[in-house]
Amino acid sequence: MTEFKMFEGCTIANRIPFIEASTRLVFEKLGIETSEAPFTCCPDPTGFKSFDDDGWLAIGARNLCLAEEESKDIISLCNGCTNTLRGVQHQLEHDSIKKNHVNEELSKIGKEYNGSIDVRHFVDVLKKDIGLDKIKSAISNSLDGLKVACHPGCHYMRPHEWMETDDDPMRPTTLKELAAVTGATVVDYEEEELCCGSAVSNAYEKVGLQNLKRKLDSVKKAGADVIIVNCPACFQQFDTQQRMLKREFDEDYDIPVLYLTELYAIAMGADPKDIGLRYHRQRIRDIPQLGV
Amino acid sequence: MVMDFEFRKQVMDYHQGSDVIKYCYQCSRCTDNCPVSYVTDDLYQYEYNPRANILAALLGHKESIFSADPIAIWGCTVCDTCDEVCPQNIELTEIFTFLKNQSIENGEGPDFIYQQARAIFDYGKAIPSQSGVERRRESMGLPEIMKPDVDEFQSMLKNMGIDGKLKEEGD
Repeated sequence: MTEFKMFEGCTIANRIPFIEASTRLVFEKLGIETSEAPFTCCPDPTGFKSFDDDGWLAIGARNLCLAEEESKDIISLCNGCTNTLRGVQHQLEHDSIKKNHVNEELSKIGKEYNGSIDVRHFVDVLKKDIGLDKIKSAISNSLDGLKVACHPGCHYMRPHEWMETDDDPMRPTTLKELAAVTGATVVDYEEEELCCGSAVSNAYEKVGLQNLKRKLDSVKKAGADVIIVNCPACFQQFDTQQRMLKREFDEDYDIPVLYLTELYAIAMGADPKDIGLRYHRQRIRDIPQLGV
Repeated sequence: MVMDFEFRKQVMDYHQGSDVIKYCYQCSRCTDNCPVSYVTDDLYQYEYNPRANILAALLGHKESIFSADPIAIWGCTVCDTCDEVCPQNIELTEIFTFLKNQSIENGEGPDFIYQQARAIFDYGKAIPSQSGVERRRESMGLPEIMKPDVDEFQSMLKNMGIDGKLKEEGD
């Protein structure tokens, strides 16, 4: 397999690096090779794009140029980064006015965007390039009996014109298939495609919490032991905001959150200590399948 | 209500193809599926209502959009659900991005948006590296994050006039 440029993104790299630790461990087991590049923030499709859309395009294109210089595809660990980089590619491919404008700005710093590389979400690489069979053969510790609720998050599959996943943008199944490979039982719940509310929480905390309550009520009703995610913004929302729900609505959820790569790392025999499960805000305890 | 024709033209010209907004027949699938409308709905009086925003943008009712409580624009959580359910394939979220950018031009965005833009401009990262996290990275055997060329990055943003939109602490 060819080497990817790793785009870990600001949140994973500089706030919750234990997610990167489990990811690197799983990539090594499955033979996904990566190398670094001096990327800036993608930038945030729910933040900086709302601040200045032209700037969002130019910063995203500059990051793509860095990967183009080495003729390597990008592998992203984050829905937001994947969304920005694929969205920038999509808009520059379909809008020549925007592309000329961005290249005019890039030429002043000695760069040119060509659109010659691809941007891949790690979930997409796991499903299409590695495949369920190979992942299954790497699993040594079946998570039989563990009930998981999957939350792929909005920007993994929407807008579909940018993201081009195999999933129906309102009925995604890929994350469920990938989680089931570990032997865990995937439970369906009503609000599966509902947003975690991370973006609106940044401006209107109470609205964000009301939305999160709707989501977690549904997860709780389905009887899930853990929530599985593939986006650091969703991870943070579920991991840090449950105690706020307790304060606001006096509601106990106590549902731990696992990144898909954490689930895999444990199913592939890793020690929970080595991947920093103790750094989660939402304590993971009394779940024998996870070794805690 | 005053119709601002220039504003209307800016909405229509936002992307090649943005003028499909004129095919909106106000079916309200966007609002019916919007998670923020759902939790801010008081007997059909929404604090955040994407259908109403599209109508106001289409009719050039600039003043009504920007004189309302900012949640009317900034309530959007960018989940792109409205884009997927729109029977007319209108890219609503892109129109809302335009409205938010205009709100920033007026200096009226939420604090978080300015704080994030400031961090990105200053460090090239929305979340700058911190010594505690760097130590944790090292203890977990993770590689050092390569430093971006912040000077080059800032010169691009300055050329585009983006530094002029930032706010200082306490502005």
